[in-house]
Formats: sequence, structure tokens, C-alpha cells
Amino acid sequence: MLDVIASPLISKSDFDAACDELSRLFAERHNLQSEWLSVDVHDRNDTRFLRIMKPLCTRVDVALGDSQEQSDERELMEYDEEALEPSPSHQGVVVEYDIVFSPSFQVPVLYFNIKDLLFRFPPTMDTLYRHLIPLQFRSQAEKAGVIGGITLTDHPLTNAPVFFVHPCQTVSILGASRGKEELTPIEFLMLWISAMGGCVGLHLPIALAEK
Amino acid sequence: MSSSRDLSSRLRQNVWDGTIPLEIRLHSGDCRTYDDSDPYLIQFPRLSYLGLLPPRLHTFFSNSLIYPDVSPAEAWLSYEHVPLKWHYPLGLLYDLYSGTEPAYPAADGDDAEKKADGRNVGDDVNIPWRLTVHFSEYPVEHLVKLDVDGKHLHDLFINSVKEADFVRNGHGRPVMNLSKEDSTQLWESVKQHSFPLYNPINQKLLNPPGVSLRHLPVKLYLPHATSDSNDKGQAPGSLRVVQQPINPALSSRQPQTIGTALNQIIPSLFPSRRSPLLAQAVLHGAVLPLGTSVEELVRTTAYLDGWLHIAVVMMA
Repeated sequence: MLDVIASPLISKSDFDAACDELSRLFAERHNLQSEWLSVDVHDRNDTRFLRIMKPLCTRVDVALGDSQEQSDERELMEYDEEALEPSPSHQGVVVEYDIVFSPSFQVPVLYFNIKDLLFRFPPTMDTLYRHLIPLQFRSQAEKAGVIGGITLTDHPLTNAPVFFVHPCQTVSILGASRGKEELTPIEFLMLWISAMGGCVGLHLPIALAEK
Repeated sequence: MSSSRDLSSRLRQNVWDGTIPLEIRLHSGDCRTYDDSDPYLIQFPRLSYLGLLPPRLHTFFSNSLIYPDVSPAEAWLSYEHVPLKWHYPLGLLYDLYSGTEPAYPAADGDDAEKKADGRNVGDDVNIPWRLTVHFSEYPVEHLVKLDVDGKHLHDLFINSVKEADFVRNGHGRPVMNLSKEDSTQLWESVKQHSFPLYNPINQKLLNPPGVSLRHLPVKLYLPHATSDSNDKGQAPGSLRVVQQPINPALSSRQPQTIGTALNQIIPSLFPSRRSPLLAQAVLHGAVLPLGTSVEELVRTTAYLDGWLHIAVVMMA
């Protein structure tokens, strides 16, 4: 992995290499972290993409609201706790993050949705803001143009509706956060995950980021 | 030179004016008289989006609905159990699913013979296209859920416009630089299907000053082959959407044609650049001659979001 990426953009082949590398790193160190369940490289229709799975963590207030079926209660609770926590009722529910290289934008794009055997979390904006976006990012995410917004679209490979972080601003966001040094493909991918994933609950586990 | 411009603008106009008659019936499961409601009939533009119809359908069928209070956002359309994507233009959906034989170029020699199999051109035309509207059991796994204000449809459209812009220019500045008025006018032109509103904005997007064309916005839609159907979660009518950067020209003297592009992207279905052997490319109900310049098609016959959405149809 000696190749160095000179611009904030990444080539398709460097992206593929970075996916392999992150998946390998996860296989090696998954015991050292508990945030992610799996990191796998998938091939579909001759396109490689990276799938990261993690348990669904729901804001404590929302989880309580769910069990009590009372929205008033939920609003009262709202300023108590804004963190996302695993909820017992959502055991086995998984958030699937797919990182796919976009032929249009020539950057990786983040698609995500909730996998639940009981189909309790359909891809709707309500699901997005109740279960996936941390409260502190809500106003930022709702304002299209800041990070391009988060909305629904068809997954480029499964063609089923999923959420996605609009990639229009990827270059400027990464340009601002990457500093001056040149990056290897895996460093670029890690930086990309930190920059694009945080607002939708995808954080790089420290165990993976350490050299 | 001027005659080719005339031809382009005539083609643009013909594509704009293309419509398909629809006969939309209420699904028996949502109808209080089972299957006894009148159909909703409309001559709908090929370039436009079915996602604009729910409010009208809701109003039309409100007296027949089992639950008249249901939100128009619960509506969805299907054809032979295939949920129809809101953000695919009608013409693409029809070319993909109606089973209507596409029109062939009035060519000589080879092409004419293919049609000389005893069938008349109008034999298998599926008109009006009979669709079903549902107001329950929304297929959330397959269709983006719309909202009453049409914001999701607008969002899907604009994202597609931005993507096309990015493909053409290598950046999204032309669409980002549109004024608020221009952006509003663009979406209004879609809602009203108004060429006078649409064309000035489209021209700004197609011809940004000082920018040369990088790639051509083309998406190919392939029906899943039966061998793929063991793939889990395969919905009826599911598709594979293929997209790759396509250069406007192969060299300084050789423009990119439909044949060269398809041969590059899906050589298994288009082994030849000159003649269709296994599959055909269908746009606006017509088989595209493989020698057609892709750039000219993008400039004159693109859909409203700037893309050439091409249905790839297997030959019998």
C-alpha cells in the first residue's frame, strides 16, 4: 500500500484496495472493539463495495417512547438524554452501511438502511430522524446544502430504497478535513468514514484507526 | 447546418410531446365496491413522472375508497404486480414493462426483415396501459415513500439533475449556480410539463460557459435474467441499473455511438458495435440505431433530469 493519493478524490482501484484493507484490518482487530459487527467486501454486478454492519442504537428517549406508546412522554424526556444507546427491544436489529464508489461523482458514496426481520423500520424520513441521526446533527442534516442533505434514493446495486448522504459536497468536506499530507488509500477511506459517517452514526472504532 | 438544427429541435419537440394513454383502476382490496369503480383515464407525457399523480388519483377515487381518509401519500401504482418507481419517467417504465414491441427505424435491408415475421407493427401495442392504484400495503422495500407535498419526488428529481450535471462537467457548478428562481422554474416546468419553462433552464445546464463536456449521462436498465432470480429479495420486475462514465468521443474523429458505448459497457449483450445481435437499446419507445451519436442524443432526447435512460430489451 505504497500508492499515495494526491487529491481528495480516489480512483476506483484505490478504493477497491482500501475496502480490502479495511476488511482485513477488521478481521484482525474485531475483538478489540464492540461498535461494528462486520466489515465485508461484496461484489455485485461486477461492482465492489464495502458493507459495514452495526447494531441499531436508538436514542434512549425514543426507545422509551416506543415501549410506552406515548409521544408526550417522549418529548418530556427529550432533553434528558441525547445519546444513542442500544435498546433491548431492538436486539438483533442491524444498520447496514454500504460504501459504493460512484461512477458519476468519482467518490465513495454512503448508503444505509436498517435490517429488521420484523420490518419495523421502513426507509422513511421518520425512521431516519428517530433512529439513525444523532440529535445534535439533526438541524445540520435537515439543512440541504451544508452537507448536501440526507434523503432517500434507490441503492445503485440492489435498486431498493435506502438512505444516502448526498455526495455533492464530498470533495470540499474532505479537502477541508484532510490537511496537507498525502494519504494512502486506507487512510483516505478512514478519513472519508470520519467525515461522511459521523452524522449518520457511523464512527470508525478507535481500535481500527490506531496504527 | 441549419437543417440539422431544425432536425434536432423537431426531434426535441416530438420527444417532449410523446404521451401514453393510461387507464388506472383502483385495486379491489381498497375499493368498497370491489372492482366496480370507474377507471381514471389520462393521456400522460412519456417524459413525466407518475409520482405527480397521487393527489389527483386520491381525489378521483375518494368516493370508492374503503378508507376515504387515507393519505394520498399511501398511493402506489403497479403493472402486473410490479410496483412502478415514482422517479422513473413514464416512458422508461412503459418501455421496460408494457411488453409493447418498440418501433424500428424505417430502414432498408436488415432492419426491415426483422419486422417481416408476419406480425403487423400495431399488433402488440399495449394501449391504453392499464395500471392499478393501491392505497394500502405500500411496498416500502421497493418504492421510496412519497409525501403529500411532493418534496420527496422533487428531491429525487433534483438529485438526478445534479448527478447528470456532475457527469457532464466533472463538477456540479452549473446546477449549484442556478438562481433560486431558475431552480423553482425547473421543477415547475416538470410539474406543468411546460417546454417554455423548461427549455431555457435546460439550455443553461447543457451549455455552461467555459466548460467542456467530460462524460455523457447514460443509464442502462436491464431486466434480471432468470438465472439471477435465486438472488434473495428479488422483487417482481426488478432491474439491474448499469452506469459507467462514457466519453463523448473515442478519438478526435470518432464520436461515441450507442453501439460503441454498449459494446464497452455490456459486451456480453452487445458483442458487436454495429449490429444488435442479442439485445436492443430502446429509448422513447424506439430502437436506437447503434450508429447514433450519444452526445447528440443527450442534447436532443434526454429525459427531464438530463439522463438518457435506456431500456435494454432482449431480442426474441
